[in-house]
Amino acid sequence: MKIAVAIKQVPERDAPVRIAPSANWIEERELQWAMNEPDAYALEEALLLKEQAGSEVIVVSAGPERVGSTIREALAKGADRAIHILCDDLNGRDALGVARLLAAVIKQENPDLVLTGLQSEDVGLGQTGVIVAELLGLPHATMILRVEKTDAGLRVKRELEEGWFQSIELPTPAVLTMQSGGNKLRYATLMGIKRAKTKELRTVTAAELGADSAPTVVLEQIAAPKKQKSTQMLPGSAKEAAAALVEKLKTEARVL
Amino acid sequence: MIILLPNLAEPQHFSTFESGLFAALAAASIWAFWRRFGPIFSKILQSKKDPGFQLFPIGRRVRDFVWEVMCQAKVIRERPLVGVAHALVFWAFCAFALVTLNHCATIFGLGFLDPAGRFGRVFFYVAALFAAACAVAIFGLFLRRFVARPKWLGAVSWESGLIALLIFALMVTYLAAFFVPGASTAARLLWWAHTITLLAFLPLIPHTKHLHLILSPFTIFLSRGGFAEIPPLVGDEDFGLVTGKDLTQLISLQTYSCVECGRCMEDCPANNTGKLLNPKEIVLGLRGYLNEYGPHSEEPLLSKYNSQEAAFECTTCGACEFQCPVGIEHVPIIVGLRRGAVNTGAWQDDQGAKLFLALERGSNALGMSAAERDKFIEKNALPLFDGTQEYCLWLGCMGAYDPRGREIVVALVRVMRFLGASFGVMRKERCTGDPVRRLGNDLLFQQLAEANLEALAQSETKKIISICPHCVRTIQEDWKAYGTPPEVEHHSEFLARYASQLPPVRDREKIVFHDPCYLGRYRGVYEEPRKVAALAGDVVEAPRSHERSFCCGAGGGLVFLGEEKGERVSHVRAEELAATGASVVGTACPFCNTMFRDAFADAFAAKGEGAPELMDIAQLAARGLPE
Amino acid sequence: MSILLVLEETSGKIRRASWEALAAATLLAPAESITAVVIGATTESLAREAAEKSVSKVIRVEHPLLAQYTADSFCAALQQLIQSQDATKWVVFAHTYQARDYAPALACRMGQVLIGDVVGIGEGPVFTRQLMQGRLNGSYRHSGNGPCFVSVQAGASRADTGAGPRGTKAPVELFSPNLDATQIRTKPSEPFRGSEQTVDLGSAQRIVSVGRGIKDAQNLPMVQELATALGAELAASRPICDNGWLPMERQVGSSGQTVAPRLYLAVGISGAIQHLVGMKGSQCIVAINKDPDAPIFEVSDYGIVGDLFEVVPALTEAVKAAKQ
Repeated sequence: MKIAVAIKQVPERDAPVRIAPSANWIEERELQWAMNEPDAYALEEALLLKEQAGSEVIVVSAGPERVGSTIREALAKGADRAIHILCDDLNGRDALGVARLLAAVIKQENPDLVLTGLQSEDVGLGQTGVIVAELLGLPHATMILRVEKTDAGLRVKRELEEGWFQSIELPTPAVLTMQSGGNKLRYATLMGIKRAKTKELRTVTAAELGADSAPTVVLEQIAAPKKQKSTQMLPGSAKEAAAALVEKLKTEARVL
Repeated sequence: MIILLPNLAEPQHFSTFESGLFAALAAASIWAFWRRFGPIFSKILQSKKDPGFQLFPIGRRVRDFVWEVMCQAKVIRERPLVGVAHALVFWAFCAFALVTLNHCATIFGLGFLDPAGRFGRVFFYVAALFAAACAVAIFGLFLRRFVARPKWLGAVSWESGLIALLIFALMVTYLAAFFVPGASTAARLLWWAHTITLLAFLPLIPHTKHLHLILSPFTIFLSRGGFAEIPPLVGDEDFGLVTGKDLTQLISLQTYSCVECGRCMEDCPANNTGKLLNPKEIVLGLRGYLNEYGPHSEEPLLSKYNSQEAAFECTTCGACEFQCPVGIEHVPIIVGLRRGAVNTGAWQDDQGAKLFLALERGSNALGMSAAERDKFIEKNALPLFDGTQEYCLWLGCMGAYDPRGREIVVALVRVMRFLGASFGVMRKERCTGDPVRRLGNDLLFQQLAEANLEALAQSETKKIISICPHCVRTIQEDWKAYGTPPEVEHHSEFLARYASQLPPVRDREKIVFHDPCYLGRYRGVYEEPRKVAALAGDVVEAPRSHERSFCCGAGGGLVFLGEEKGERVSHVRAEELAATGASVVGTACPFCNTMFRDAFADAFAAKGEGAPELMDIAQLAARGLPE
Repeated sequence: MSILLVLEETSGKIRRASWEALAAATLLAPAESITAVVIGATTESLAREAAEKSVSKVIRVEHPLLAQYTADSFCAALQQLIQSQDATKWVVFAHTYQARDYAPALACRMGQVLIGDVVGIGEGPVFTRQLMQGRLNGSYRHSGNGPCFVSVQAGASRADTGAGPRGTKAPVELFSPNLDATQIRTKPSEPFRGSEQTVDLGSAQRIVSVGRGIKDAQNLPMVQELATALGAELAASRPICDNGWLPMERQVGSSGQTVAPRLYLAVGISGAIQHLVGMKGSQCIVAINKDPDAPIFEVSDYGIVGDLFEVVPALTEAVKAAKQ
């Protein structure tokens, strides 16, 4: 089986984010970058399938130069080769614009399975995988926790809301978007990084792929949410405080 | 005086038969010796060269050799009575080097010491004094081993008894020769008895732990130096200790030097709480491996002779290495085994992977959001370091995120402000890499060290102060592999320097100070924190303190691996500290602090009594400050 | 300027989130231009329910192959519906797992891009959605021609404003798409529950966690009652599980579970770092503790300083009252 895994490089989760002067993206200087966590789960699933059935795992990632470090991390964890779609305008593209890039490269590879994370930790659109499937004309399933190879294709475990699950059978080739937490992630090792040096890393530019980048949906502005998280102490008697809390949970926090 | 004493009786003439017999026996003895020693010697030589090994500067080596080998200082310091007994045996052996050479030469008529001559007489008498002392000492050691039987020595070994007997016989046959006439049959018999004992002793050396007689002087002379120093990995195929091919000459030399005295187990936190890990067995395991597979084997090191579980139970407290009298460097060996397991991905541990992933994807070992650190800095109005201040106050993961660690930082900040010391904190810090360094994740450690070094260089930091001995150690020693770290000191050193300017506390407490491993054994700082603690009360000592302090259980990354199986190290130590009756337990490490906090909560909540108060020395120093 | 509002069904009823989406839709255009869409194999009762709301029309998209949700069947059916309607400006969904599964594909089929997970709609219209895990808000605008697809996050609007019954019933139309079994490539099974015997704190939406402040195992039922009232799982800090008062699988912290529920209510937990690392990712943290300096308040959104033996029963009552 040939598996393509689409991964994205995102700002490290706890990195302090500041808004760039353009006000429509964050200040990227001084940021630390990491592999998008749901994509890391997608990669993990691919590597597990590889260990079981001897698949070839190809990593695909779009973004500027810096994405190379995340691609190398994926190779270090066990992917066989990688394709870097070099583009500097990833943030200016909408989900369709990004998916077109990925789909163009994946189509050339003609894999049996395409895996990617459910959503990204930065913009969190949660659409790229589904649109890639649509562009490639492949069936898809989202929020997948486990993938099993069957004679007819695949059987996957999909997460539903409120603790429900469902299993879905679908033919290959197919696109799956992986939910976090289905497997345990492996950590990157020194040996993996050293071995990764000899693996193939091909670079193509967005221009070579000719994928249209004009967005239908535009991110015009970003801003800090009005309310910063700070502790509200609720005073009064036990009864008063309890009543105040329930009201806050209902109207402010909206968790009731 | 000397004139009145009898001379050493030596046979004057030997028959050809006798010299032939001696030559044959000596050859057999040497052959038996070499048959065993030769392979060991070649295994050591054939092991991988130690990367970065340099003989020079040789001064340190000579100093260690004189102090530890010739003076037997370490042996005596750690176990005075036994140590002195051992030293007497050792010194007697040294004195006997010339005696024995002369003894063997006499059979060919080549004796060079005249028992009647001035030098010979004096020398033989001096040797006799040593021999007498040695005989008494070896008898004492024999009694200890076979009657007192301390648990460190393990099962009774017949070979030790035999060796003791032979040494005793050597001494007695020598001393007896002073009481027989020179040309008598008795003298001849004693000569032969001494000779045969000697020739029997020689082949026994490489067959028993007495191999250390030959090897340990070299082990000590050639040791890497420093304490618990982790050697660099070299080249693209070095991932730590994975197979026999990774064992270096020094490691092989050390494993064959082990004398199985068990000093390394005495204060080992794992071994004392019933864990699998036994530092002695780690070393003997490698020896077993070398004996069976040799230094070129591709057999994994963590299989038959050593277990992965044991390797990951080490808190890297260094109590083993600190005590070892023959120069074995346990911590680099254990960390080396971990490196082999982690750098190749063989170690699979849920909590460990969680820690690694937290540091792959974030800045701190606790997996907290950096925004929490910013909030803390803002709330306490900590100035940002901009290159103009004297100190860069390194918060560390515990100081930045742990509520109790923050209290320590806040206390230190109060004191620094009182003293008018200028300081600032980094806008962004990453974990120094201590836990991953000790757990053997070189990839992650390198990333963290490099990122931090770069940030510090940009901010032109000259001097770092930290509340965490782990941060201090890692910054000062471990980062060296990737750059030049700024000067760094632990807050106990800073506070001790200014102790005289700090107002003492009026209500004095009884304080027991717990030496953190990474401050004491690793850094040699013992008196400074006590001096600071003394501002707030009278410092008493725990039964195990200073160099022999017992670990809190947090080090070596273990604090992040969840609770250990069985008896908890932290609880054992906490009880020991509480039993001193002190009202305050003084700490100087946020990890010790958090471990004891847990332990006290458990132990005293159950008993319904009040636990001793747990205070960092910074908090003790801040007690006397005006509000 | 018409809106197609796609409603989602659960156990024979329209999901509450869909009504929140309706409330949001009224921010884009008045109720007179909103057409509600119900979809399935039999949609009569759903249509009846929808017709009660302030919408101008209800369309029943009905086909036997729509009995069970699949992305292929829903995309095909809705594509046909949208193409059959004139001048549809907006297609609005509730941002549910189901919508996330097919709405991006549907939009793509129509050459559009879904604006998903919308938490606010402003003048323009400008759609607000969260970025960087909620640390920033982003404002999005639709710039293309053709219908704009929007999915609205639950909790973004209140279902009880603007979506109330209007008194009159909206007219209902039937739409029968052309579907063919060969179009449907995926075969989903019936939903099943995660294994029941072990609690899965990791996926719990609400957690009430209890610490040393509870003093005795016999006080646990009081906290359990609060958890039940909230529909929450009961969890604990280490000492509680160490004492055997609750099973180890309910332990939150560095040596237990790492959780990230929407609501984490810490009762009598001081907030040692070992505990904090296990729950810091929770969306809303509430702490009840008698020590005003307890570190748990540092990470909390709401705090009550008080005796938990008074506050917890009072809170249980208040929660029950609010639910009625």
